[in-house]
Amino acid sequence: MEELIAELKEKIIATLDLIDVTPQDINEDDRLVGGKLGIDSIDVLELVMMIDKDYSVKIDSKELGEKIFASLRTLAEYIHKSRTG
Amino acid sequence: MILLNGTRVFITGMGIISSLGQGTGRHLESLQKNRSGIKPLTLFTPSPGNSFPAGEVPGFSQTMAVPRTHELALLAAREALSGTGAVPDSIIIGTTTGGMPVTEELLKKNVPDPDQYRYHSTASVAEFLAAVLRCTGMVLTITTACSSGAAAIKLAYELIRSGKAGRVLAGGADALCRLTYYGFNSLQLIDPAGARPFDRERKGMTVAEGSAMLLLEGGESVPDCAVVEILGGGLSCDAYHPATPHPEGKGALAAMRKALQSAGISPREVGYINLHGTGTRDNDLAEARALNSLFGNAMPLLSSVKGAFGHSLAAAGAIEAVVCAAAVREGLIPANTGCADPDPELNLKPVLTPRAEKAAVVLSNSFGFGGNNACLVLADPAAKREKPVPVEPSGFEILGSACITGAGDTDQTLRKLTVDKTCSGILPLADISKDLPAREVRRLKRLPRLALALAMEARKISNHDQTPSSVFFGTSWGPLSETYDFLTRLYASNEQFTSPTEFVGSVHNAPAGQAAIMLGADGANLTLTGGDYSFEQALIAATLTAADGGTALVMAADEFHETLSPLFDASVRLSRVPSDGGGALVLRKPAGGSRPRIRPVFFENSVNNPSILQSLVQSLGGTEEISARYGALFAGMPMKDRDACEKQLGEIIKAAEFRAPAVDFRRFTGEYGSATATAVALAAGFVRDGNIPSSITGGAECPLGGKGILILGLGGFVTAIEILNCP
Repeated sequence: MEELIAELKEKIIATLDLIDVTPQDINEDDRLVGGKLGIDSIDVLELVMMIDKDYSVKIDSKELGEKIFASLRTLAEYIHKSRTG
Repeated sequence: MILLNGTRVFITGMGIISSLGQGTGRHLESLQKNRSGIKPLTLFTPSPGNSFPAGEVPGFSQTMAVPRTHELALLAAREALSGTGAVPDSIIIGTTTGGMPVTEELLKKNVPDPDQYRYHSTASVAEFLAAVLRCTGMVLTITTACSSGAAAIKLAYELIRSGKAGRVLAGGADALCRLTYYGFNSLQLIDPAGARPFDRERKGMTVAEGSAMLLLEGGESVPDCAVVEILGGGLSCDAYHPATPHPEGKGALAAMRKALQSAGISPREVGYINLHGTGTRDNDLAEARALNSLFGNAMPLLSSVKGAFGHSLAAAGAIEAVVCAAAVREGLIPANTGCADPDPELNLKPVLTPRAEKAAVVLSNSFGFGGNNACLVLADPAAKREKPVPVEPSGFEILGSACITGAGDTDQTLRKLTVDKTCSGILPLADISKDLPAREVRRLKRLPRLALALAMEARKISNHDQTPSSVFFGTSWGPLSETYDFLTRLYASNEQFTSPTEFVGSVHNAPAGQAAIMLGADGANLTLTGGDYSFEQALIAATLTAADGGTALVMAADEFHETLSPLFDASVRLSRVPSDGGGALVLRKPAGGSRPRIRPVFFENSVNNPSILQSLVQSLGGTEEISARYGALFAGMPMKDRDACEKQLGEIIKAAEFRAPAVDFRRFTGEYGSATATAVALAAGFVRDGNIPSSITGGAECPLGGKGILILGLGGFVTAIEILNCP
């Protein structure tokens, strides 16, 4: 799980062009959307595409999305569960 | 025809083609029977897992060698003009896809032949109609995403009221294509069951296609063929987010209020509202909140027809004007097709089955990406109302101007011109972005950054209490980087993966929406895409809407894209120095200061128009007036029409007996559609200073002696903008 979290940090920075953010700046338990990273609804959809492409995990519903994107940890857990389950 | 300023405006002809078929008669029947045109897509085969219904025109196979959008537009236009034999004085078309249905196929196959992309531009739809219908007047293209059709009608209405045209063909057209089909899907805005606007279970919209065209005519009395009267229209911008509406519907409310105000109508008098109602959770909620605050407990009959038509994007506003005309004329209130169980959170009761009831006054809502909103008020010509608001005199005073070129900002441009006699070239992205907030522009590519840099510089040079409240943006080609990257990613993944960011960024009006967010400009926000005459069109739009009553940012910009610019723009292809940039002006209604004034004075189509140059000289007041007013000409001569332009310029100089310098500005700006904006921004400074430096004239310094500069656009259209010193 920690490996996946570390990997996701890199991918989030690259996908969203967070040029002034380093992996250390992202705390996996902080609020991911609307928090200090400035991630908004379009970014979430961009991450949905990235996760589908790189992990073959689909996140469709907006309501489901809100729970999954609550924090980086909830996102990693969902990806992990979907791939193994 | 001589028309009085402030004349009444009537719809005297209508044409429509959509997922419900072709022709107004057929549409009336379909709406009466509450049919839906939403069906599985057949136009192309979607990639696995991405199949959802669409609003495709049924049984339509193309017969003309133009993109689908163009043919749909012509079919609707022919119906609108049928029986009249009339040639419109002017054509104003809203479209977002233009030639994309063809372009995306060509790019998929990497077709390198530029000739096959000749109908790519959004402007080519209106220009195609003008050529077929032999319209020699003003031809405008408006691209405000899903409100384009309504905004086109609003501009046509204002053009007639200004007395500059008597008969205008206006409407919208968009055809289904991969860009919009996959784009809206990437935003998770598609309802897999088909759009169910305002329903408790609604999950999104249905992408559709179609066109509707209206013939608008001015008159002091009601013409025999009048279908309905247009009483007014309102424009606004959410200035909130590129793709999500303001949660409280702030922009929607402002546009509805302005429309009613301009029509001299109170909310109580509205009998029916045709809602924007796309079926997405956010749009329907925002629109419902705006309606509840405007109408309270006295809610008129209302419905969205997007569960029947699907959402035909730029065509929707025009299609819905036809629907509104049926409500007034035929007493048909259409159903909110697809809605079975209205969402209680919205506190609205849409009409669930068609009703036979006449509405004397109707309101039609259209909202788009970029927070670009347009509302129209249509009525029975016999409906009572207050006297219409008179049209304000045209022209603005210039509070400030700025440009970005291959040399840098305005100061850098002037310095480079002095040294090297040129400011052509491509400014590095980092230089364009040097003053822009890095985090906020991280998702933006070249064109929106050019627009934001211009907006920022323009704001700096105008005082803080004069921050623009409305934005008028011109661009020939729109955001090419976003468009290219979106399609490249789509094709690289066998149409599985796309970028929602790039889709939102690819719409032509995205840069103007970004500028509005940065400036907090919640007034009118219009993007005009008129090829090499885009700046002129943006200035005309600002003039027609009187800058919406406040301070306006009027600008135009184009980006150079390595692959697409040479494919699309023949002038760029012929040019040896890739160049881009643009210019911006901050304008307001003259307030008695001593600042220079600007006014668009001429815009005609040179195709089928042998007397165009005489017409230009005449409208400028004749030879003596021209020499008395202008100390120099700036001529925009796109390289693709170089010979024709030089001939035109020679004839104009001869006919006007003009002896002052003529500046061929593309020689130093480089070749790009919005070079006119750059030249105008520079010219504004020269008129203010009363002198044109020798680096610009190519000869001696040119003192203006209190005179102004006339900026000409030559080639396929002939345009003129004057910048004069305050009288």
